[in-house]
Amino acid sequence: MTAIELRGVTKQFADVTAVRGLDLTVEEGEVYGFLGPNGAGKSTTIDMVLDLVRPTEGTVRVLGQDATADGVAIRQRTGVLPDGFAVYDRLSGRQHVEFAVRSKEADDDPDDLLDRVGLLDAADRKAGGYSKGMRQRLALAMALAGDPDLLILDEPSSGLDPAGAKEMREIVRTEADRGATVFFSSHILEQVEAVCDRVGILRAGELVAEDSVEGLREAVGGEETLEIALAGGDADGADGATDAAVDAVRDLDGVSRVDRDGDALVVSCADGAKTQVIGALEDAGVAVADFHTREASLEDLFLAYTEGDAPDARGEDSEESTGEDATDADTDAADATDAEEVSR
Amino acid sequence: MSLPAIAEKDFQDTVRSRGMLILVALFSVLVAAFAVIVRPTGDGGDQFATEVLLQFFVGPLLVTTLVPLVGIVVGYNAVSGERESGSLKLLLSLPHSRADVVFGKVLGRGAALSLAVVTGFLLPGIVLFALAQTGALATFNVGSFLGYTVFAAVLGVVFVAIAVGCSAAAETQRRALIGGVAVFVLFVVLWSLVTGQFLNAASGLIDPLPVSQQQVSVFLQVANPITGVELLSGAFLGDRLLSGETVNQQISAVSMLVFWTIAPPLAGLWKFDSDDL
Repeated sequence: MTAIELRGVTKQFADVTAVRGLDLTVEEGEVYGFLGPNGAGKSTTIDMVLDLVRPTEGTVRVLGQDATADGVAIRQRTGVLPDGFAVYDRLSGRQHVEFAVRSKEADDDPDDLLDRVGLLDAADRKAGGYSKGMRQRLALAMALAGDPDLLILDEPSSGLDPAGAKEMREIVRTEADRGATVFFSSHILEQVEAVCDRVGILRAGELVAEDSVEGLREAVGGEETLEIALAGGDADGADGATDAAVDAVRDLDGVSRVDRDGDALVVSCADGAKTQVIGALEDAGVAVADFHTREASLEDLFLAYTEGDAPDARGEDSEESTGEDATDADTDAADATDAEEVSR
Repeated sequence: MSLPAIAEKDFQDTVRSRGMLILVALFSVLVAAFAVIVRPTGDGGDQFATEVLLQFFVGPLLVTTLVPLVGIVVGYNAVSGERESGSLKLLLSLPHSRADVVFGKVLGRGAALSLAVVTGFLLPGIVLFALAQTGALATFNVGSFLGYTVFAAVLGVVFVAIAVGCSAAAETQRRALIGGVAVFVLFVVLWSLVTGQFLNAASGLIDPLPVSQQQVSVFLQVANPITGVELLSGAFLGDRLLSGETVNQQISAVSMLVFWTIAPPLAGLWKFDSDDL
């Protein structure tokens, strides 16, 4: 059975289309990372899964039931850490968790749940005095009540320090090991990298990539980053040269992204485009002082997907890819094709 | 069973607010002050008239204006406040329906207001009772006093329900506040004017019906929950509750109180249920 299934879901608000024709499937038992920059439609999607927002078009099914018609039954088996929530200032942490346990008709000991999220010492304090991170932990404790089959965590690490974020990941892993499906959103890649079986990247309301973390990482192999130091003469000449350099490179085939870093250019491009980039710079009369390639990280791919155009046409001249043997390059080519299929 | 859970949580949350203490103190002080005003001034043989205290002082000065106002203040932010702050997300991430939220709020806040009214009346009531026991007061009618307290609490609950209905329908706190003020002005200030205009406009419609203009007019008067509670509490103090010549009006009043407790939250829920939050 699928834990979450969105089919052709569109959400039109008065002035903006937040989600556009979204198909998304989260299988039972997997940990799914839902990525995208702020404003991509992640929270709207999660709100539709939770029946806080109703889709304009399409169907949303959760744990095999209709999100709107069977919302209460769904949430009986679901733990939710919402985004942008507030606590009840006058109630203590323990009262919050007691309320969650009672609402789910569960039999958890509230103190056990508070202990799991590291909030037992503050259990009797009023939640109004909690820090952002403590509120986040409190909502997580409430979400864990009743051993939910599905955990939905919207930006779970916001407000947490690195140690807190690590504890959050450990709890996600424990819940997944127990057999729960975990669906969580983030705009920070490192957080999903460590725990997710599968990642979906949302951009402007559309799913632009979906793969395992490993698959995405391999897909990135077809893309590399060039750092090119330009031989700038005097101060005013250097600026002109860099502008000209950006113009020369930006529209080349295989170049997905060009950034300026002082006198240097940072170019994300397909493996085979490297010589073209250098050539184009020389044709434009820009002197290249030095350049080196940097292996692309998932972060680069994430940025490419969410800010620029999704990378395409990678691996065409795979034999030219530096520092990789032919077998790897072949794999890259295959994965690039996969990525293309899901990138729409 | 999620409605009682919400009601209980909301009750806990509301009774912990500073406003509750202020309310209890306000009610106590006012009731006590009126008791001082109506205390027998002549020789010791005068009776302390509990009914006079309630019907001519506590009633018009406290119950029929202050209690509706307090009911609206307690209820108007019930749903819209949580919606604006974001705690509604926490609430609806648990297995609660939106109907549970609206009616749980009516129950929880209604109970909290009732507690404030009862406590606020009881504190001076105990003093009066003690004075009567020691002979400082000739008589103190405990039954009348307690009964009247219940009517005051009922009126409060009705206005909590109306305000929670507004709150559920409102998308922002601001609109909920405007709705609450409008409700107060309608029922406390403008009711007879509005119903009078309605009667004039509708006289052509009423004439063919087997009811007189007078009957409709009386019904519209007791349809105002404030008038309804005044009528019922007056009958109670005069020992004519649901009997005597006003029995039909009293039955109308009771049914309209039930109506005002249920219909506004339902109407608010109808809007709230279809909203994106």
